[in-house]
Amino acid sequence: MITELEVKDLLRRGGYIADETISTAVFLALRMEKPILIEGPPGVGKTGLAKTLSEVMDFPLVRLQCYEGIDEGKALYDWEYGKQLLYTQLLRTQLDSYLSESADLRAAVERLSAEESLFFSRNFLVQRPILRSFLSEKRSLLLIDEIDRSGDEFEALLLECLSDFQVSVPELGVIPARNRPLAILTSNGTRMISDALRRRCLFLYIGYPEFDREVAIVRSRFPELCEGLALQMVEFLRKARELNLRKPPSVSETLDWAQVLSILHTKQLTPEVVANTVGVIAKHQADLQQVNELAAQMMG
Amino acid sequence: MERIITRFVTALRERGIRVSPGESLDAVQALTFGGLSGRESVKALLRLTLVKNVNDIPAFEEVFDRFFSTGQQNTLGLDAMDLLTALIHIVEGEQLKAEEHRTREKDDPLLIVDEEVTAEDLENLLAMEESDDESAGAEIMVQLDGHRGKMEAPSPSDYYMKSPPTVAFQPSSSKPKVAPFTPEELADMQEVVSRMLVRIRKDVKRMKELESRGKLHVIRTIQKNYRHGMVPFLLSLRRKRKEKPRLVVLCDVSYSVSHATRFMLLLLHTLQNRLMHVRSFVFNRELAEITPMLRNMPVNCLLETIDRGDIVNLDDNSDFGNVFVEFKKKHLENMRGKPAIIIMGDARNNYNDANEWALEEIREKAGYMLWLTPEERETWHRGDCLMELYGTFCDRVEVVRDVDELSRMVEDLFYTLYDHHDTRSWKGRHREQKDEEPQDYRSYYTRKGGAAPAFDATVRRQW
Repeated sequence: MITELEVKDLLRRGGYIADETISTAVFLALRMEKPILIEGPPGVGKTGLAKTLSEVMDFPLVRLQCYEGIDEGKALYDWEYGKQLLYTQLLRTQLDSYLSESADLRAAVERLSAEESLFFSRNFLVQRPILRSFLSEKRSLLLIDEIDRSGDEFEALLLECLSDFQVSVPELGVIPARNRPLAILTSNGTRMISDALRRRCLFLYIGYPEFDREVAIVRSRFPELCEGLALQMVEFLRKARELNLRKPPSVSETLDWAQVLSILHTKQLTPEVVANTVGVIAKHQADLQQVNELAAQMMG
Repeated sequence: MERIITRFVTALRERGIRVSPGESLDAVQALTFGGLSGRESVKALLRLTLVKNVNDIPAFEEVFDRFFSTGQQNTLGLDAMDLLTALIHIVEGEQLKAEEHRTREKDDPLLIVDEEVTAEDLENLLAMEESDDESAGAEIMVQLDGHRGKMEAPSPSDYYMKSPPTVAFQPSSSKPKVAPFTPEELADMQEVVSRMLVRIRKDVKRMKELESRGKLHVIRTIQKNYRHGMVPFLLSLRRKRKEKPRLVVLCDVSYSVSHATRFMLLLLHTLQNRLMHVRSFVFNRELAEITPMLRNMPVNCLLETIDRGDIVNLDDNSDFGNVFVEFKKKHLENMRGKPAIIIMGDARNNYNDANEWALEEIREKAGYMLWLTPEERETWHRGDCLMELYGTFCDRVEVVRDVDELSRMVEDLFYTLYDHHDTRSWKGRHREQKDEEPQDYRSYYTRKGGAAPAFDATVRRQW
C-alpha cells in the first residue's frame, strides 16, 4: 500500500510540489476511498492536482465541468432515444410476427411489456462522466470541477454517488461502481457548498503557497531560470498579493510570469521589466498601476 | 485513541465547529491509516476529516494547539483539584482561610478568589436580578406598565421625545461611531440573504417557465429533435426576452439609519449580478456612488471606509433636498431604462430646502419609487421630518425596523419588479404566500396600524 511520503514523491515527480496537507489528503482519499473537496482561490492548482494525480497514478481522468443548470442527463446517464427509436424501426417486422401470435390487443400489450427490459437495457444507456468513471475497467480519477457553479439540485444528486459510489437508474436498479474512482471536487467558493456534501468529503483548503514552496514550484517548472530571479519574483508577487488587488496574482500567474521571464532571458527584475510584463500578473486596469507602483517602490 | 478524538471533537463543538459523528469516525479511521508519525501530520489528518469550512480552520488550529499543548499543565496552569475545593468552599459557604488563599494566589495569580465571597453574597446577587417589585424604582414600573398587555417590542419612534437626560445616555448622533459588523452578524445576514436568494431563485425559475409558454419555435424544435428522427419529443417555445430589473438605491449613512443602510447594501449586492442590476449611492449632505467599490471590496472594508467619512463627510447633517438635486443633475440622465428607486432614510432634512421638485422629476424617470424609513408614522409630522411631503411622490412608503422586515421588503419589491407583466396565477399564489407570512415575523404589527407604545425603554434596540 502506498504511503504518505510516496504520494508526495509521486506528485513531485509529476511536477506538482505538494505540502504536507495536500499529500496527506491525497493519501487519505486513496486509503479511505473518500472524495476530496478542494477549495481555494483561483489558480492555486486545484485542478492541476487532479491532473497530475491522474498522470502519476496512471488513473484515467474523467472530467466533469459543472455549470449552472447541469443535471443528471449531463452528469450521470441518459437514455439514447434515437437508438431506441432506430431499433424499434428496424425490428418492426420481427415485432409484428412476434405480436401477431397473441390473440387480442391486451395480450399483445402484455407480451410487449414482458420484453420491456429490452428497450431499457444498458445498450441504450449513455454513460455520462460519473457513471463512466464508476464503470471504467481501471480505477479512474473523477474530477468534478467548479462544483460551486452548479445548483443545489445537482449537489443533492451527487450525494448518493459520492457516499456509496453507486448510481440509481429507475429502470435498471442500482449500478454499483466497478472500481471506486478517486473523486476530486473543486470549488472557488463563490457559493457555499451544502454541509451534506461537505460531510461526505475530505476537506482540503489550498491557499497561496508559502515562500519556499512557491520558489520550489517555479524552480521545478523552469529550471533554466536563475535562482536569484526566482526568489526575487516570488517575493515580489507575495507583496503584490498583499495589495488590495481586484484579482491577486495566483500560482498560475507566477508560472506564466516565470515562463515569460525565461523566454526574455531576464537576469534580474527591474521596474522596467515589470512594466513590460505586467499584463501577465495583473488582469485589471486598476491593478496594473498598483503593481507598477509596487515595483518602483521595491526595486527603485 | 477513540476517547481522545471524542474529547477533541467535543472541544471543537464547544468552539462552534460543527462536527458530525460520521466525521469523527472518519478521523479515527484516518489516524489508523496515517499513523501518529508527527504532530503536523496528525494535525493535517484531523483537519482534513473534521473541518469542512475554510472559516473554521483558524478556530481548529487554536483548539488543536490548546488541546494537544506540549506541556503537562492545562492552559491556565491550575490544578483541577484545587479549583474543585475552592468551588466547594464557596458553595458550602465556608470561608477560605487567609493563608491558604495567599499561597494559592502566589501559585497562580490567574485565580483570584475574593475572601469575602460567601454563599449569602451569591444569594443576594441572584435576588437582585430577580426583583421586579416597587423596590426597583417607580420610573421603571411606569415604563413597564406602558408595555403591559401588548405583545410589542418598544419602537425607536420616540427617540426625539425623550427627556434630555435620557437622550444624553444614548450614543451621540453627531458621532458616527458604529462598529463594523461582527463576524457573527455578518454570518447571520448572509444566512438571511442566502435563504431569501434560494426562495427568489426558485420562483424566478417558475416565472421563467411560465414565461416560456408561448408559440412554438419551429426551427429550434426541429433542430432539437434531429437525433430522434424528427419525432418531436422535445418542444422548443419562443421565449419572451426580459431584462434583469434595474435598481437604484440611495442610502442615508448618517447615524440614525446607518445599521439599516449597512444591511441594505449587503443585501443588494448579493442580489446584484445574479438577479438584478443595482447602482448604489450613499449620502449625507453630498451624494456619492459606491457601486464599483461594492464590487471590489469586502463589505466590511467598505463599511469601515464609509465610517471613516472617506466617501461622504459624516460630520454634516443630512440634507435630502440637496441630495435629490444633485442626483437629478449628475446621475438621472445616465440611468438606463426605468429603474426602480429605493430611498432609505428618515427624511429629517435638518430644516434645509426641501427641493421636492427634484424628487418629482426623479419620480417621473423612475419606474417605481419606494421609500424606506426607520421611523414610525406618528412622528412624521414632528420636527424637521419631511416624510409626509416626500411621501406624496413615492409609490410606496414603508417603515422597516429590523433585518427581517427589510429583507422581506426587498423580496416584495423584487417580485413587484419581476412580476410586471406576468401571469395572474403567479400573482395569486404570491398573495397567498404573503398572507401566511406575517406570523413568522415578530414585528409585523405596525403595518396593521397599531399604536406606538407610549414609553420606550430600549430605544432603537433593533438597529
